Amino acid sequence: MQMMSERTSTRGSMTTTQTDAADRAAELLAKIAENRSRAAFSELFRQFAPKLQSYATRQFGNEQTAMDLVQETMTNVWHKAHLFKPDRGSPSTWIFTIARNIRFDLLRKNKKRKDDISADELWPILSEQNDSLDDGYALDHDVLMQEISFYYAQLPDAQRVVIEKIYIEGKSQQEVSDALGVPLGTIKSRTRLALKKLKELIVDDN
Amino acid sequence: MIIKSHPGEGLLYQYAAGDLSAAMTLVVGTHIDMCKACRQTVCEIEQKLCEENLDTLVSVASTTMSKSQCDQMLEAIFASSACNKQTRQPNEILSLEGRRFTLPRTLAHNSHRIGEWSKLVGKLWRAPLTLDNGNQTNLIYMAPGAKVPEHTHKGQEATLVIDGVFNDEKSEYRDGDFVLLDPSRTHTPETQDEDCLTLATLDAPLHFTSGISRLLNPFSQLFFR
Ligand SMILES: [Zn+2]
Repeated sequence: MQMMSERTSTRGSMTTTQTDAADRAAELLAKIAENRSRAAFSELFRQFAPKLQSYATRQFGNEQTAMDLVQETMTNVWHKAHLFKPDRGSPSTWIFTIARNIRFDLLRKNKKRKDDISADELWPILSEQNDSLDDGYALDHDVLMQEISFYYAQLPDAQRVVIEKIYIEGKSQQEVSDALGVPLGTIKSRTRLALKKLKELIVDDN
Repeated sequence: MIIKSHPGEGLLYQYAAGDLSAAMTLVVGTHIDMCKACRQTVCEIEQKLCEENLDTLVSVASTTMSKSQCDQMLEAIFASSACNKQTRQPNEILSLEGRRFTLPRTLAHNSHRIGEWSKLVGKLWRAPLTLDNGNQTNLIYMAPGAKVPEHTHKGQEATLVIDGVFNDEKSEYRDGDFVLLDPSRTHTPETQDEDCLTLATLDAPLHFTSGISRLLNPFSQLFFR
Protein backbone atom coordinates (compact mmCIF):
# COMPACT_ATOMS: atom_id res chain seq x y z
CA MET A 1 0.00 0.00 0.00
CA GLN A 2 1.27 3.43 -0.79
CA MET A 3 -0.21 6.85 -0.41
CA MET A 4 -0.43 8.68 -3.70
CA SER A 5 2.63 10.71 -4.35
CA GLU A 6 3.47 13.01 -7.19
CA ARG A 7 4.69 10.85 -10.01
CA THR A 8 6.67 12.88 -12.39
CA SER A 9 7.28 11.67 -15.84
CA THR A 10 10.92 11.30 -16.77
CA ARG A 11 10.26 10.65 -20.40
CA GLY A 12 11.66 13.07 -22.88
CA SER A 13 9.56 14.25 -25.74
CA MET A 14 9.45 12.15 -28.84
CA THR A 15 11.72 12.99 -31.71
CA THR A 16 10.31 14.03 -35.05
CA THR A 17 11.26 10.69 -36.60
CA GLN A 18 9.35 8.80 -33.92
CA THR A 19 6.34 11.07 -34.37
CA ASP A 20 6.38 10.50 -38.10
CA ALA A 21 6.67 6.74 -37.62
CA ALA A 22 3.76 6.82 -35.16
CA ASP A 23 1.64 8.88 -37.57
CA ARG A 24 2.44 6.47 -40.38
CA ALA A 25 1.57 3.43 -38.25
CA ALA A 26 -1.74 5.06 -37.27
CA GLU A 27 -2.55 5.65 -40.94
CA LEU A 28 -1.73 2.04 -41.77
CA LEU A 29 -3.95 0.77 -38.97
CA ALA A 30 -6.80 2.94 -40.24
CA LYS A 31 -6.35 1.52 -43.76
CA ILE A 32 -6.35 -2.03 -42.42
CA ALA A 33 -9.49 -1.34 -40.40
CA GLU A 34 -11.34 0.35 -43.24
CA ASN A 35 -10.24 -1.56 -46.35
CA ARG A 36 -8.56 -4.71 -45.04
CA SER A 37 -5.55 -3.44 -46.99
CA ARG A 38 -2.94 -6.17 -47.27
CA ALA A 39 -0.37 -3.69 -48.53
CA ALA A 40 -0.84 -1.52 -45.45
CA PHE A 41 -0.58 -4.56 -43.19
CA SER A 42 2.57 -5.79 -44.92
CA GLU A 43 4.21 -2.42 -44.34
CA LEU A 44 3.16 -2.41 -40.70
CA PHE A 45 4.38 -5.99 -40.36
CA ARG A 46 7.83 -5.08 -41.72
CA GLN A 47 7.98 -2.25 -39.19
CA PHE A 48 6.95 -4.25 -36.15
CA ALA A 49 7.78 -7.93 -36.69
CA PRO A 50 11.55 -7.53 -36.07
CA LYS A 51 10.90 -5.44 -32.94
CA LEU A 52 8.42 -7.96 -31.60
CA GLN A 53 10.82 -10.76 -32.43
CA SER A 54 13.60 -9.05 -30.52
CA TYR A 55 11.31 -8.40 -27.50
CA ALA A 56 10.06 -11.98 -27.52
CA THR A 57 13.50 -13.52 -27.89
CA ARG A 58 14.67 -11.60 -24.83
CA GLN A 59 11.56 -12.70 -22.93
CA PHE A 60 11.57 -16.37 -23.82
CA GLY A 61 15.11 -17.16 -24.91
CA ASN A 62 13.52 -19.57 -27.33
CA GLU A 63 13.34 -18.88 -31.01
CA GLN A 64 10.20 -20.89 -31.75
CA THR A 65 8.17 -19.36 -28.89
CA ALA A 66 9.40 -15.94 -29.98
CA MET A 67 8.07 -16.56 -33.50
CA ASP A 68 4.76 -17.71 -32.00
CA LEU A 69 4.50 -14.42 -30.15
CA VAL A 70 5.23 -12.42 -33.32
CA GLN A 71 2.64 -14.34 -35.31
CA GLU A 72 -0.10 -14.25 -32.67
CA THR A 73 0.44 -10.57 -31.95
CA MET A 74 0.37 -9.57 -35.62
CA THR A 75 -2.63 -11.83 -36.27
CA ASN A 76 -4.51 -9.84 -33.62
CA VAL A 77 -3.38 -6.58 -35.22
CA TRP A 78 -4.70 -7.79 -38.61
CA HIS A 79 -8.11 -8.76 -37.27
CA LYS A 80 -8.55 -6.11 -34.57
CA ALA A 81 -7.12 -2.98 -36.16
CA HIS A 82 -10.52 -1.31 -35.79
CA LEU A 83 -10.13 -1.46 -32.01
CA PHE A 84 -7.07 0.80 -32.04
CA LYS A 85 -8.00 4.19 -30.56
CA PRO A 86 -5.51 6.83 -31.72
CA ASP A 87 -6.57 9.24 -29.00
CA ARG A 88 -5.74 6.70 -26.29
CA GLY A 89 -2.12 6.01 -27.10
CA SER A 90 0.42 5.42 -29.81
CA PRO A 91 0.20 2.50 -32.26
CA SER A 92 3.34 0.91 -30.88
CA THR A 93 2.04 1.06 -27.30
CA TRP A 94 -1.18 -0.61 -28.45
CA ILE A 95 0.77 -3.34 -30.22
CA PHE A 96 3.02 -3.71 -27.18
CA THR A 97 0.03 -4.31 -24.90
CA ILE A 98 -1.23 -7.00 -27.29
CA ALA A 99 2.21 -8.64 -27.21
CA ARG A 100 2.27 -8.34 -23.42
CA ASN A 101 -1.02 -10.28 -23.27
CA ILE A 102 0.17 -12.95 -25.70
CA ARG A 103 3.32 -13.34 -23.59
CA PHE A 104 1.20 -13.74 -20.44
CA ASP A 105 -0.70 -16.61 -22.05
CA LEU A 106 2.36 -18.23 -23.68
CA LEU A 107 4.14 -18.32 -20.31
CA ARG A 108 1.22 -20.27 -18.85
CA LYS A 109 0.53 -22.43 -21.86
CA ASN A 110 1.89 -25.68 -20.43
CA LYS A 111 0.18 -25.38 -17.09
CA LYS A 112 -3.05 -24.07 -18.46
CA ARG A 113 -6.30 -25.90 -17.92
CA LYS A 114 -9.33 -25.33 -20.09
CA ASP A 115 -11.11 -22.83 -17.87
CA ASP A 116 -8.07 -20.96 -16.65
CA ILE A 117 -8.21 -17.23 -17.00
CA SER A 118 -6.51 -15.70 -20.03
CA ALA A 119 -4.87 -12.33 -20.53
CA ASP A 120 -7.78 -11.04 -22.60
CA GLU A 121 -10.01 -11.44 -19.58
CA LEU A 122 -7.57 -9.60 -17.34
CA TRP A 123 -6.75 -6.74 -19.71
CA PRO A 124 -9.83 -6.42 -21.93
CA ILE A 125 -7.97 -4.27 -24.49
CA LEU A 126 -9.36 -6.23 -27.43
CA SER A 127 -12.89 -6.34 -26.12
CA GLU A 128 -15.53 -5.37 -28.68
CA GLN A 129 -17.76 -4.07 -25.93
CA ASN A 130 -17.72 -0.35 -25.69
CA ASP A 131 -16.68 0.04 -22.10
CA SER A 132 -17.71 3.26 -20.52
CA LEU A 133 -14.47 4.14 -18.77
CA ASP A 134 -13.73 7.78 -19.16
CA ASP A 135 -10.45 8.43 -20.84
CA GLY A 136 -7.86 8.68 -18.12
CA TYR A 137 -5.45 10.10 -20.59
CA ALA A 138 -7.26 13.24 -21.54
CA LEU A 139 -6.94 16.29 -19.37
CA ASP A 140 -9.82 17.50 -17.30
CA HIS A 141 -11.84 19.56 -19.74
CA ASP A 142 -12.18 22.57 -17.45
CA VAL A 143 -8.48 22.67 -16.71
CA LEU A 144 -7.88 22.49 -20.42
CA MET A 145 -10.12 25.42 -21.23
CA GLN A 146 -8.56 27.62 -18.56
CA GLU A 147 -4.95 26.75 -19.07
CA ILE A 148 -4.75 25.94 -22.70
CA SER A 149 -4.53 29.49 -23.98
CA PHE A 150 -1.35 30.05 -21.96
CA TYR A 151 0.35 26.96 -23.21
CA TYR A 152 -0.85 26.03 -26.64
CA ALA A 153 1.24 28.72 -28.25
CA GLN A 154 4.29 26.66 -27.28
CA LEU A 155 3.21 23.64 -29.32
CA PRO A 156 4.73 22.73 -32.70
CA ASP A 157 2.66 24.32 -35.46
CA ALA A 158 1.07 21.13 -36.77
CA GLN A 159 -0.21 20.24 -33.29
CA ARG A 160 -1.22 23.80 -32.38
CA VAL A 161 -3.45 24.14 -35.43
CA VAL A 162 -5.27 20.94 -34.54
CA ILE A 163 -5.74 21.99 -30.91
CA GLU A 164 -7.01 25.43 -31.93
CA LYS A 165 -9.56 23.97 -34.29
CA ILE A 166 -10.81 21.39 -31.81
CA TYR A 167 -10.74 23.25 -28.51
CA ILE A 168 -11.26 26.83 -29.61
CA GLU A 169 -13.33 26.50 -32.76
CA GLY A 170 -15.10 23.44 -31.40
CA LYS A 171 -14.62 21.33 -34.54
CA SER A 172 -14.73 17.55 -34.46
CA GLN A 173 -11.60 15.57 -35.31
CA GLN A 174 -13.29 14.45 -38.54
CA GLU A 175 -14.01 18.08 -39.50
CA VAL A 176 -10.40 19.05 -38.81
CA SER A 177 -9.26 16.09 -40.88
CA ASP A 178 -11.44 17.25 -43.79
CA ALA A 179 -10.47 20.90 -43.44
CA LEU A 180 -6.73 20.20 -43.41
CA GLY A 181 -6.82 17.29 -45.82
CA VAL A 182 -4.91 15.19 -43.30
CA PRO A 183 -5.95 11.61 -42.39
CA LEU A 184 -8.16 11.24 -39.32
CA GLY A 185 -5.63 8.95 -37.61
CA THR A 186 -2.97 11.65 -37.91
CA ILE A 187 -5.31 14.27 -36.43
CA LYS A 188 -6.04 11.95 -33.53
CA SER A 189 -2.41 11.22 -32.85
CA ARG A 190 -1.50 14.91 -33.11
CA THR A 191 -4.27 15.70 -30.63
CA ARG A 192 -2.97 13.08 -28.27
CA LEU A 193 0.64 14.24 -28.55
CA ALA A 194 -0.42 17.85 -28.11
CA LEU A 195 -2.44 17.03 -24.99
CA LYS A 196 0.48 15.12 -23.60
CA LYS A 197 2.85 17.98 -24.32
CA LEU A 198 0.42 20.44 -22.77
CA LYS A 199 0.14 18.30 -19.70
CA GLU A 200 3.92 18.26 -19.36
CA LEU A 201 4.09 22.03 -19.77
CA ILE A 202 1.38 22.53 -17.17
CA VAL A 203 2.89 20.07 -14.70
CA ASP A 204 6.36 21.57 -15.13
CA ASP A 205 4.98 25.03 -14.52
CA ASN A 206 3.20 24.19 -11.30
CA MET B 1 -14.64 10.37 -3.93
CA ILE B 2 -10.89 10.48 -3.47
CA ILE B 3 -9.14 7.14 -3.21
CA LYS B 4 -6.53 7.30 -0.48
CA SER B 5 -4.73 4.05 -0.81
CA HIS B 6 -3.16 2.84 -4.07
CA PRO B 7 -0.90 0.04 -5.31
CA GLY B 8 2.74 1.13 -5.20
CA GLU B 9 4.39 2.13 -8.44
CA GLY B 10 6.42 -1.10 -8.47
CA LEU B 11 3.22 -3.11 -8.47
CA LEU B 12 1.78 -0.98 -11.27
CA TYR B 13 4.94 -1.65 -13.30
CA GLN B 14 4.62 -5.38 -12.80
CA TYR B 15 0.94 -5.13 -13.71
CA ALA B 16 1.68 -3.28 -16.94
CA ALA B 17 4.52 -5.63 -17.86
CA GLY B 18 2.31 -8.68 -17.28
CA ASP B 19 4.53 -10.01 -14.51
CA LEU B 20 1.97 -10.39 -11.73
CA SER B 21 -0.03 -13.54 -11.01
CA ALA B 22 -3.48 -13.72 -12.56
CA ALA B 23 -5.06 -13.11 -9.14
CA MET B 24 -2.99 -10.03 -8.38
CA THR B 25 -3.53 -8.74 -11.93
CA LEU B 26 -7.26 -8.99 -11.36
CA VAL B 27 -7.15 -7.09 -8.06
CA VAL B 28 -4.80 -4.37 -9.32
CA GLY B 29 -6.74 -4.15 -12.61
CA THR B 30 -10.01 -3.67 -10.75
CA HIS B 31 -8.44 -0.90 -8.68
CA ILE B 32 -7.30 0.73 -11.92
CA ASP B 33 -10.88 0.60 -13.24
CA MET B 34 -11.90 2.62 -10.20
CA CYS B 35 -8.91 4.96 -10.05
CA LYS B 36 -8.24 7.58 -12.68
CA ALA B 37 -4.82 8.47 -11.25
CA CYS B 38 -3.49 4.91 -11.46
CA ARG B 39 -5.10 4.45 -14.88
CA GLN B 40 -3.09 7.38 -16.13
CA THR B 41 0.08 6.14 -14.45
CA VAL B 42 -0.35 2.74 -16.10
CA CYS B 43 -0.84 4.43 -19.50
CA GLU B 44 2.47 6.19 -18.98
CA ILE B 45 4.18 3.02 -17.78
CA GLU B 46 2.90 1.08 -20.80
CA GLN B 47 4.27 3.76 -23.05
CA LYS B 48 7.60 3.63 -21.26
CA LEU B 49 7.74 -0.16 -21.39
CA CYS B 50 6.96 0.04 -25.07
CA GLU B 51 9.76 2.51 -25.64
CA GLU B 52 12.19 0.27 -23.79
CA ASN B 53 11.04 -3.05 -25.19
CA LEU B 54 9.74 -2.35 -28.65
CA ASP B 55 10.78 1.04 -29.96
CA THR B 56 14.40 0.48 -29.10
CA LEU B 57 15.38 -2.29 -31.42
CA VAL B 58 18.02 -4.38 -29.70
CA SER B 59 19.48 -6.84 -32.13
CA VAL B 60 19.69 -10.25 -30.56
CA ALA B 61 22.01 -12.85 -31.99
CA SER B 62 21.54 -13.74 -35.62
CA THR B 63 17.84 -14.37 -35.38
CA THR B 64 16.48 -11.62 -37.58
CA MET B 65 13.61 -12.94 -39.66
CA SER B 66 14.51 -13.75 -43.23
CA LYS B 67 12.45 -12.47 -46.12
CA SER B 68 10.96 -15.89 -46.74
CA GLN B 69 10.06 -16.25 -43.07
CA CYS B 70 8.30 -12.89 -43.22
CA ASP B 71 6.39 -13.84 -46.36
CA GLN B 72 5.42 -17.16 -44.88
CA MET B 73 4.09 -15.56 -41.73
CA LEU B 74 2.19 -12.92 -43.69
CA GLU B 75 0.56 -15.69 -45.75
CA ALA B 76 -0.48 -17.48 -42.57
CA ILE B 77 -1.90 -14.30 -41.06
CA PHE B 78 -3.94 -13.43 -44.17
CA ALA B 79 -5.22 -16.99 -44.26
CA SER B 80 -6.24 -16.95 -40.60
CA SER B 81 -9.82 -16.34 -39.63
CA ALA B 82 -10.76 -13.84 -36.96
CA CYS B 83 -10.94 -15.88 -33.79
CA ASN B 84 -14.40 -15.00 -32.70
CA LYS B 85 -14.07 -16.43 -29.28
CA GLN B 86 -17.51 -16.42 -27.79
CA THR B 87 -16.97 -13.52 -25.46
CA ARG B 88 -19.26 -13.56 -22.51
CA GLN B 89 -21.40 -10.57 -21.87
CA PRO B 90 -19.96 -8.77 -18.84
CA ASN B 91 -22.37 -8.81 -15.93
CA GLU B 92 -22.06 -5.71 -13.84
CA ILE B 93 -24.67 -6.41 -11.22
CA LEU B 94 -24.06 -8.53 -8.15
CA SER B 95 -26.98 -9.23 -5.83
CA LEU B 96 -26.38 -10.44 -2.31
CA GLU B 97 -28.32 -10.28 0.95
CA GLY B 98 -30.84 -7.91 -0.59
CA ARG B 99 -28.09 -5.57 -1.77
CA ARG B 100 -27.16 -4.77 -5.34
CA PHE B 101 -23.57 -3.91 -6.20
CA THR B 102 -22.17 -2.60 -9.46
CA LEU B 103 -18.97 -4.37 -10.39
CA PRO B 104 -16.07 -2.48 -11.96
CA ARG B 105 -15.13 -3.41 -15.52
CA THR B 106 -12.44 -6.06 -15.05
CA LEU B 107 -14.49 -7.82 -12.41
CA ALA B 108 -17.65 -7.57 -14.52
CA HIS B 109 -15.78 -9.22 -17.41
CA ASN B 110 -15.03 -12.11 -15.05
CA SER B 111 -18.39 -12.34 -13.31
CA HIS B 112 -18.85 -15.88 -14.65
CA ARG B 113 -15.89 -16.89 -12.49
CA ILE B 114 -17.61 -15.92 -9.25
CA GLY B 115 -18.62 -19.08 -7.40
CA GLU B 116 -21.33 -19.81 -4.84
CA TRP B 117 -21.64 -17.56 -1.83
CA SER B 118 -21.25 -19.22 1.53
CA LYS B 119 -21.87 -17.80 4.98
CA LEU B 120 -18.90 -17.84 7.30
CA VAL B 121 -18.57 -17.11 11.00
CA GLY B 122 -20.02 -13.83 12.18
CA LYS B 123 -21.52 -11.62 9.57
CA LEU B 124 -19.23 -12.62 6.76
CA TRP B 125 -19.92 -14.13 3.36
CA ARG B 126 -17.45 -15.41 0.83
CA ALA B 127 -17.53 -16.35 -2.86
CA PRO B 128 -14.41 -17.79 -4.49
CA LEU B 129 -13.18 -16.67 -7.88
CA THR B 130 -11.89 -19.40 -10.14
CA LEU B 131 -8.91 -17.98 -12.00
CA ASP B 132 -6.27 -20.65 -12.31
CA ASN B 133 -4.52 -23.27 -10.28
CA GLY B 134 -3.37 -22.34 -6.80
CA ASN B 135 -4.99 -18.97 -6.48
CA GLN B 136 -6.90 -17.87 -3.44
CA THR B 137 -9.09 -15.06 -4.58
CA ASN B 138 -12.42 -14.23 -3.02
CA LEU B 139 -15.15 -11.70 -2.87
CA ILE B 140 -15.79 -11.06 0.81
CA TYR B 141 -18.99 -9.43 1.98
CA MET B 142 -19.06 -7.98 5.49
CA ALA B 143 -22.49 -7.01 6.81
CA PRO B 144 -22.68 -3.99 9.14
CA GLY B 145 -21.06 -4.79 12.48
CA ALA B 146 -18.99 -7.68 11.11
CA LYS B 147 -15.59 -8.51 12.49
CA VAL B 148 -12.86 -10.73 11.09
CA PRO B 149 -11.04 -12.32 14.05
CA GLU B 150 -7.50 -11.10 14.62
CA HIS B 151 -5.09 -12.90 12.34
CA THR B 152 -1.73 -12.68 10.68
CA HIS B 153 -0.89 -13.69 7.15
CA LYS B 154 1.61 -16.22 6.09
CA GLY B 155 1.60 -14.60 2.69
CA GLN B 156 0.78 -11.22 1.32
CA GLU B 157 -2.83 -10.21 1.23
CA ALA B 158 -4.17 -7.66 -1.19
CA THR B 159 -7.62 -6.30 -0.48
CA LEU B 160 -9.62 -3.93 -2.63
CA VAL B 161 -12.79 -2.23 -1.44
CA ILE B 162 -15.43 -2.55 -4.17
CA ASP B 163 -18.20 -0.86 -2.24
CA GLY B 164 -18.65 0.32 1.34
CA VAL B 165 -16.23 0.86 4.17
CA PHE B 166 -14.23 -1.22 6.61
CA ASN B 167 -11.54 -0.36 9.09
CA ASP B 168 -8.73 -2.04 10.96
CA GLU B 169 -6.65 -0.73 13.85
CA LYS B 170 -4.76 1.54 11.57
CA SER B 171 -7.10 3.14 9.13
CA GLU B 172 -10.41 3.25 7.34
CA TYR B 173 -10.80 1.97 3.77
CA ARG B 174 -13.47 2.99 1.29
CA ASP B 175 -14.47 2.42 -2.36
CA GLY B 176 -11.40 1.86 -4.51
CA ASP B 177 -8.89 1.68 -1.66
CA PHE B 178 -6.22 -0.94 -2.25
CA VAL B 179 -4.57 -2.40 0.83
CA LEU B 180 -1.48 -4.58 0.74
CA LEU B 181 -0.74 -6.26 4.03
CA ASP B 182 2.64 -7.65 4.77
CA PRO B 183 2.94 -11.06 6.38
CA SER B 184 4.10 -9.88 9.80
CA ARG B 185 1.25 -7.55 10.66
CA THR B 186 -1.72 -8.66 12.69
CA HIS B 187 -4.96 -6.97 11.89
CA THR B 188 -8.66 -7.18 12.59
CA PRO B 189 -10.82 -5.84 9.78
CA GLU B 190 -14.31 -4.83 10.85
CA THR B 191 -17.33 -2.91 9.67
CA GLN B 192 -19.31 -0.42 11.72
CA ASP B 193 -22.72 0.90 10.56
CA GLU B 194 -22.16 0.28 6.86
CA ASP B 195 -21.51 -2.95 5.01
CA CYS B 196 -18.58 -3.63 2.74
CA LEU B 197 -17.81 -5.70 -0.35
CA THR B 198 -14.15 -6.43 -0.95
CA LEU B 199 -12.05 -8.40 -3.42
CA ALA B 200 -9.15 -10.12 -1.74
CA THR B 201 -6.33 -12.37 -2.75
CA LEU B 202 -3.89 -14.20 -0.57
CA ASP B 203 -0.91 -16.34 -1.40
CA ALA B 204 -1.04 -18.37 1.84
CA PRO B 205 -3.75 -19.20 4.39
CA LEU B 206 -4.64 -16.91 7.24
CA HIS B 207 -3.39 -17.71 10.69
CA PHE B 208 -5.57 -16.56 13.56
CA THR B 209 -3.57 -15.44 16.57
CA SER B 210 -5.72 -14.26 19.42
CA GLY B 211 -7.51 -16.13 22.23
CA ILE B 212 -10.63 -17.92 21.24
CA SER B 213 -10.27 -17.13 17.58
CA ARG B 214 -7.31 -19.49 17.45
CA LEU B 215 -10.06 -22.07 17.34
CA LEU B 216 -10.92 -20.63 13.96
CA ASN B 217 -7.68 -21.65 12.34
CA PRO B 218 -9.36 -24.61 10.71
CA PHE B 219 -11.66 -22.07 9.06
CA SER B 220 -8.85 -20.17 7.46
CA GLN B 221 -8.72 -22.71 4.66
CA LEU B 222 -12.41 -22.12 4.17
CA PHE B 223 -12.03 -18.38 4.35
CA PHE B 224 -9.38 -18.04 1.71
CA ARG B 225 -9.31 -20.77 -0.79
ZN1 LIG C 1 -4.98 4.27 -7.64
